[in-house]
Amino acid sequence: MSKLGSHISAIQSGFKHLYKRRMTLRYPESKLEILSGYRYPLAGYKGRHVLSMEKCTGCSICELTCRNIARAIKMVRVEGASPRNKKSIFPQIDYGYCVFCGFCVDACVFSALTMTPEYELAAYDKQQLIYEPKMLAASPPASGSARFVVTKSAAYHKKPKRTPEINQA
Amino acid sequence: MLGLTEPLSNLLQILVFPGLGFALTFVLFMVWYERKLLAKVQVRVGPLYAGRFEGILQPIADFVKLLFKEIIVPKQADRFLFMLAPTFMMALSVSILALIPLSPSNVIADSNVAILVIIAVLSLSPLAIVVAAWASNNKYSLIGGLRALHQTTSYAIPLSLSVLGVVLMSGSFSLMSIVESQRNAWFIMLQPLGAIVFFLAALAELERVPFDIPEAETEVVMGWETEYSGINYGIIMTAAYVKFYALAVLFTELFLGGWLGPEPVPPALWTIIKTFFVITLMMIPRGVYPRLRIDQMLRLGWTRLLPLSLVNIIISLVAVSFMA
Amino acid sequence: MSELVLNVGPQHPGSGHFRLIIHVDGDTITKAIPDPGYVHRGIEKQAEYREYLQNIPLLERPVISDSNGSVYAYVLAVERLAGLKVPERAQYIRVLMAELNRMMSHLYWLAIYGIFLGHSTMFMWPFGDREVLIDLAQRAMGQRLTYSFFVPGGVRSDLPDGFKDEALRAMEFLGGRLPEYDSIFVSNPLFLDRTRKVGILSREDAIRLGVVGPTLRGSGVDADARKDEPYDAYDRIEFDVATFQDGDCYSRARVRIEEIKQSMRIVKQVLESIPSGPFRAKSPSVLNPQRGNVYARAEAARGTYAYFLTSLGRRMPYRLKISSPSFRNLPAFEFLMKGSHLADMPTIYWSLDYWPLEADR
Repeated sequence: MSKLGSHISAIQSGFKHLYKRRMTLRYPESKLEILSGYRYPLAGYKGRHVLSMEKCTGCSICELTCRNIARAIKMVRVEGASPRNKKSIFPQIDYGYCVFCGFCVDACVFSALTMTPEYELAAYDKQQLIYEPKMLAASPPASGSARFVVTKSAAYHKKPKRTPEINQA
Repeated sequence: MLGLTEPLSNLLQILVFPGLGFALTFVLFMVWYERKLLAKVQVRVGPLYAGRFEGILQPIADFVKLLFKEIIVPKQADRFLFMLAPTFMMALSVSILALIPLSPSNVIADSNVAILVIIAVLSLSPLAIVVAAWASNNKYSLIGGLRALHQTTSYAIPLSLSVLGVVLMSGSFSLMSIVESQRNAWFIMLQPLGAIVFFLAALAELERVPFDIPEAETEVVMGWETEYSGINYGIIMTAAYVKFYALAVLFTELFLGGWLGPEPVPPALWTIIKTFFVITLMMIPRGVYPRLRIDQMLRLGWTRLLPLSLVNIIISLVAVSFMA
Repeated sequence: MSELVLNVGPQHPGSGHFRLIIHVDGDTITKAIPDPGYVHRGIEKQAEYREYLQNIPLLERPVISDSNGSVYAYVLAVERLAGLKVPERAQYIRVLMAELNRMMSHLYWLAIYGIFLGHSTMFMWPFGDREVLIDLAQRAMGQRLTYSFFVPGGVRSDLPDGFKDEALRAMEFLGGRLPEYDSIFVSNPLFLDRTRKVGILSREDAIRLGVVGPTLRGSGVDADARKDEPYDAYDRIEFDVATFQDGDCYSRARVRIEEIKQSMRIVKQVLESIPSGPFRAKSPSVLNPQRGNVYARAEAARGTYAYFLTSLGRRMPYRLKISSPSFRNLPAFEFLMKGSHLADMPTIYWSLDYWPLEADR
């Protein structure tokens, strides 16, 4: 008879979930809210890099670091004078190779490379994945706004409110 | 003129209601309903985008997709039998529909021995499965097909025997009179054992969880359905769901009083409502149970369901002789 | 019927990148020969061309569902060789992240066990609940699965603000989910039918075959690298090692679920008693450790990871030998599957928690 009891409790458990909140995040209508990107030594999301062309001196330490990990960074020459960057070279990142480990961010002495919460980098062509320094310097789009709520009995994504949002750069 | 309306109304019954048209639409609804129900149990959403309302057109989208796929016949396969098997299965499932009335006025072919014929036709399904498995010329299909053969043959016996109790109580093989004799009490209260045995045997005949070992993905890829692609697979799936619908209506009429119900609702609608409830009950195990191993399942069929159905027959005999 | 040779091959819904050659006679398996090696990428050789720090993204990728487990042993080995002393806060953070990974890996295991047994709900629920843990990891470490977070000397960044509350809430949520799992999976009569008395590995056979991890602990052997050779903060935290005596697939499943509960206990203790301080020891980014050999062990979710590191004093290791738990569990395949039903093959296979990428390296 305890077997019957186990059957009943299994079916009961299944029924209980019929009226729980769904956990599904309805991407792409709502996207997860990620606020901060990785900046050594602060925790943050490791998404696309953003390059500050004023701070970069062209020392190539990021390229050296990545050389044995993913070989994703290549230093390219960009026209336009920058007083700190005598050789006028800046990193170009190929996201087809990058593994988003963030060691280049750790290595950059001048904090010119940081990572942002942008993760939607898919492209139709391998060439489009190579981000030149000017592309890297562009700031990421605004973050999504669905929050992942965890309570004692449920975990779900809270849909964003339909109010106009301030664009966070 | 009079000579024309009869065959015309017959044709309408066969094609639209309660025949093919209604059955296939209901099957489409059932596919969607099952996916949504399972999704709700699993804390997710299920089909959402096809069709304006919660993905209601998803089964149609899947069907159209299957139409676009290539029908691959393996090189060493027996071509004729390979293409014959899905049609055979579809014919089996659909021919049962002709004998099952949805209400006294909605029946395609009423027969005095409806139940007998239905059980006989259902017992042909192992043959269709073996034809499909053998014709595929594939080790996995062979193993899956043999398992399905064992399963469907073993469970056809309790299925037939559990119906016998109902037949004894109502005194007739005709589905019309079986439903009529439930005016005082539904047979599920008089024959609980029979109802349980019929329910489990029907789940096994349909190869649904927890009895879906013939198509156990992780061991035999898809069992006897492995080599079927495109619309071939679509026909097999449709045949399975039509059989599901037919067995659910059968359960309603054998045990739940068919179309009997209070007046303002038409009798056909009562049948449909009760069938809907039975279908939900048959879909729930899919979200709750893992699948049984073949020897455990056969043990369940032969050592539990078969004696239970025999006990049910004896009890029904005793009860009928008391009431007479 | 004569004997069939089935190829549960690399292209199969139930095998992963791994081939099992099974000789079937009717419904009984007479021989089961595992054929690993489809995903061999030469990780050990590639590690010889990377500096010690650059090896970390390489070494965490074979085991993506439990990446901290394999990197932990490597990092311990390098620290022993280079003589680095890890600050206390870093030790606690590492324990915390390793235990989170253990829970994630076990939930993943539970989900795939559901697929193998044909239980679709058992597939969906653990994956959903794993999202809670992955979200937590993403807040702390920046990535969902492969973090590159542990480095020789500590960790790369500190825990963000508000992490403790979120983590405690996640633990509370998971604690409420475990009874649900129990009623629908572990105590489900059909699950018991499928896994009880299936694939029985006795205590002597387990020791003789050299299996590790929950496979070993499910046969009654109390062996856990966290208790036998405590590293980092494990000797200051209270927890029990889950051991069950029967040695069948059911015991191994119970071991893993009990390990989830123990990991929750460890996480709560760490969050309460984590000290403040630096999170990384001062060390050069290009390490030149002394010449020598070093051996280090860590307990990952699937079993014990062991690294044998040989250094010649240069900035790249000379030889890095990885001993992964999945490879250690391979002899159990042939031994356990002989004489069992064909339908028990997926049950036994996944109860050993074999991860092809990790076994092939």
